[in-house]
Order: sequence, then structure tokens, then C-alpha cells
Amino acid sequence: MSDKTQMNMLKRLLMRTQHKSRLVAALLALCIGTTLLLLSVMIWWNFRELLYGKNQNDTLGSTFLIIGKRVTEQNMGVANATVFQPADIDSLKQAPQVQDVGVISSNHFPVYAMMGGKLPLATDLPLESVPDNFLDKMPEEWKWEPGSRSLPIIVSSQFLDIYNYVFAPSQGLPQLSETSVKSIALNLKVGEGDHSEVFLAHVVGFSDRIGSVLAPQSFIDYGNKTYGKPGATTAPSQLILKAKDPSDTKFADYLQRRDYATNSQNLRWSKIRAIVEVVTSATGILALLLMGIGTLVFILFIELTIAHAQHSLTLLLQIGYSPHYLSKFMISRFLPMVFGTVIVSMIITIIAQATAATVVKSQGLVLPIMPGWPVWAALAVSTAVLATLVTRSISGAIKR
Amino acid sequence: MQLSLQGVVPIPLREKVSVGKSGMWNTSVSFNKGEYVFVQAPSGTGKTTLIHILYGLRKDHTGDVKWNNTSLNATDNEALAALRTNNISVIFQDMRLFPELTAWENIDIKRRLTNTVTEEEAKEWLNRLGLKDKKESAGSTLSYGEQQRVAIVRALVQPFEWLLMDEPFSHLDHANTQKAISLILEVVQKSNAGMILADLDENTYFPYTKTIVL
Repeated sequence: MSDKTQMNMLKRLLMRTQHKSRLVAALLALCIGTTLLLLSVMIWWNFRELLYGKNQNDTLGSTFLIIGKRVTEQNMGVANATVFQPADIDSLKQAPQVQDVGVISSNHFPVYAMMGGKLPLATDLPLESVPDNFLDKMPEEWKWEPGSRSLPIIVSSQFLDIYNYVFAPSQGLPQLSETSVKSIALNLKVGEGDHSEVFLAHVVGFSDRIGSVLAPQSFIDYGNKTYGKPGATTAPSQLILKAKDPSDTKFADYLQRRDYATNSQNLRWSKIRAIVEVVTSATGILALLLMGIGTLVFILFIELTIAHAQHSLTLLLQIGYSPHYLSKFMISRFLPMVFGTVIVSMIITIIAQATAATVVKSQGLVLPIMPGWPVWAALAVSTAVLATLVTRSISGAIKR
Repeated sequence: MQLSLQGVVPIPLREKVSVGKSGMWNTSVSFNKGEYVFVQAPSGTGKTTLIHILYGLRKDHTGDVKWNNTSLNATDNEALAALRTNNISVIFQDMRLFPELTAWENIDIKRRLTNTVTEEEAKEWLNRLGLKDKKESAGSTLSYGEQQRVAIVRALVQPFEWLLMDEPFSHLDHANTQKAISLILEVVQKSNAGMILADLDENTYFPYTKTIVL
């Protein structure tokens, strides 16, 4: 297929058509269909990347969330009505998407925090502990043993925000950075009257995951045992869950059925995810439909072209041109059109991905700048299917 | 390359053949390489049908046609194309040119399949047949005589062992016929090829080695 003159003659004999508008329409439908298909795969994949990708997209709801039994008019004031029994915890471990369940232990002993110097502060302080593997980041100093006066604590980053943006400005107090907070020491008085101890607490970290003040498990256990009120319940009223996909609607349904309350922000993704799934599915179906119509019109155009050239085709075969040679010639004319539309679709998808990455970056989310492998896979599969259909239709029409 | 026919009867001529006696239909006949065969065929006896059957264009017949002991019935389209490109050439009675191509292009599109005849040589052949000024004329604008001469040159610009001709000079005057005969003979001899010429009336266009009445 290298003889240019011969190719030109064959082109004049076989590729004449008066229906260029049909060709343009077919190619346009193919291009739109392919682009929509790639975009729907791209959106689906990006959403997965945001939820489960290796990139840190904390604001999309970490996979950790805290649950408690909802306090209602009926269970209000009823003893142990809102605590979790071992059976509840076992059931939760089997719940959809749940990977791990941690008990949040709270203090059943009085804790009083005092701070001197420029920041006169004295308040009762609730303390909690979670198993270490549920912490955002394990600080090096995160350990306490009975007898130690120094107590590491982790504070919810929301506390610092409230102090810096609400409390400090209103009271004329200085705002504090995380580093400066870490350098401040608090006196924690544990117990009452003579039966008490004072610890020197210092903040060793901040947590986005837990909205209270955390102390090491060993300290809470020691405090409850030594200074706890006799007869106080030890069953936890809050649990921390490690969920594979907190946006899974099955998981959300599970929590709702049992009337467990949680940070709804973690679950709002289930609604967004459902919407994204519907949108991508609908786009995908529309894309397949458009691609199907585009392919059909394109193949009909090919068959029409071949039908128009039937006389020349027959004569070429009679003077010695082989069906294989003529098929190859026709394929070499039509396949580049298919590849052209696919390349245009790919370029649009790459631009869309780069734009999406830039847009979400401004919101603190990370997406890859290039489309993910499923997009390339969809491209490869759709191109292969298109190429096969076109090749078969040409070979079939010439053989006929 | 040997050609043999065994019990070949075109389906449309079945009844005619069973009544009359033919030197080609419903009999066994073979032709050896380099033979010049004249098939005299009165009108309606299947002259064109014979050429088409030998060239593999028609399959509506009984019996078997074999080129070098290979049955045409068992030859697929690709092999048939190879046979037509390298071994058998044909001059159709109805010329069968591409009306949208020029006289030269009609020849060139065939020539470029094998490139065994140079462009200069092919053009020289066209000149010899008096078509020097018609090279760039569209096939559709050529007279029958001109079309026939183009068809003759087209049949010669490929390697062949057999040249099949169906009333090849029916549209030519005596002078042009002589020129065409001279050219065909020259190329056939150079190729050590055989020929089968089918025509209505007896003739002495070529030094035939065999004459068969259809």
C-alpha cells in the first residue's frame, strides 16, 4: 500500500460519496459518545480516588467516625439506655463496611484543669481515650505509666479553632499556634479533696478525628480505678469505627436502623455518592447509546460508500485486485477517522481531568493530573470494539 | 500451466448442450502451456460464458475447470486474485473499463499491481495502437474501438501464462486489428504464454495450434 498514484486511483474509484454530511454526523456522534463514555469513567474514577485513593483527602470524611446511641425523649434519663453492650459491639463488627470498632473510654473521675500565667483558665475537663490504632497520628510522647507526673494529651483541633477564632478575639487574649499550645503546661487535678493527684499535662498533638480531649488509655484506666465513682457504669457510650467506605448507603442504613447518631458530615458523602453514581451511570448509558448510534451511522456510511463503489469494486476484483488488498485499502481510509475521533475524545478527557485536578486542589483535595487507568482501559476497549466493527463491516461488505 | 475441462456444462445452456455436440461443453478437454486455441462459437453457444467460466467469474456450471490440476471450484477469492494477477489475463468482450479513470489510468491501475511492465513500455504499446492522444481522455468518453484497444493493452501489462480473449477485435477496423494482433503476439511470445480466443467466425488472426467448435 505504498504506491501513491495507485492509492489515488483507488481512492477515486472507491471513496466517492455525495453524503459528506452523513460522515460528519456519524463522526460527531462517535466523538461525543466516546467523550461522554470516557468522562463518565473519569468522574466515577475520580470519586473513587477522592474516597479511597492513596492521596490524603481527609476532608472527604476520614474513614473513622464516632457513633453514639441517639438520645431521645424516651431514653432520656434511663440508666444505661445509651451505652453500648458487648452484643452491640459484636454486631457492629459485622456491619457493612466496618473494619474495626474501638471503645471510647471516658473518665468517671473528676478532672479539673488549671492554667496560670497570661491565660488564667480553670475548668472541669472531660477526658477520653481511644485505642492507639484509632489515633490520627501517634505522637512519640504518647504513653503514661502510673507514677508519672507528666501526662500527654491530644486536643481536638476544633478546640484550638474555637479558642483562636471565637474566644481569644472576644476576650482580648492572644491567638495561639499549634506549636505554642504544645509548649503550654496545664495542671490537672484528678480526684477530690485529699484523695487527689495533680498531673502536669501538655498537649502533644491535635486530632481532626475526635472532638474531645484524649489521654492515654492507661491513664483513664488508672483514674477510673483509683478515683472513679463506685458503681459507675464502665460500658462505653461512644464507639469509634473504622469504616472502609462511610459513604456506602448500606452502612448509613445500618446506623439509621439502630438509631445510632454520628457526625452527619461523614455520611453526607453517601448522598453525594449516590448522586454521582446515578449521574455517572446515566451518563455512561447515554454515552453507550450515543456511541452505538454513532457506530451504526458510521458503519452504514461505510456500507453506503461500498455500495456506491460496487461497480468499481467488482471490476477491480475482476482485473486481479484481491479482496484482502481492497479491504486493507478501505480499512486504511476509515480506521484513521475512528482513531481521529478517539484521539479528540482523549484530548478532551485529559483536559477535563487536568481542570478537575486544578479545581479540587483549591479545595484542598488531591486528584491526579492525568486520567486514571480505567479511563485508558475504557479508551482501549472502545477503540478495539470500534476498530473491530469497522474492519469486519468493510471485509464483510467487500466479500459480499 | 495446463488447463483442463471435465464435463463442463453451463446451467443456462444445459438443454442446448445435451442436444448438440460441442468440442468444449460436456466433454474432457485439456490445453497445454503455450497452445494457441481458437474457439469458434456461433452466436448463443456460450462463448462469453466459456471465457467467464475459465476466468473464474461464473460458477453456474456442472463439471470442473482445472488450472494446473487445481479446481477453480476449490479456489478461494484470494487465490483467484493471485491467479488473475500472475497467470491468467483476459480481454473482455464488453471491455470493462473504469469510466471515471483516463485511458492511461485504466492501464496503470492494472500495471501497478505487479509492476512487471514499465510505464514507458505500456505507454509505447498505447502509442502503437494509435492512442497517443487519448491517454488523458476519460474512459467514459472513449469510443468502443478506443476502449477495446485500451482493454487490450491493460490485459498485456501483467505477467500471464494464458491470455483469454473474447471477440477482442470486434470494434476495430482492419488496420487497428493488425496492430493489435501484432502487439498481442509479440507479448504472448515474449511471455511464452498460451492463448484462447473465442470469436464468432473463423479467422487467421493468430497461428492457432487448436481450433474447437463450441
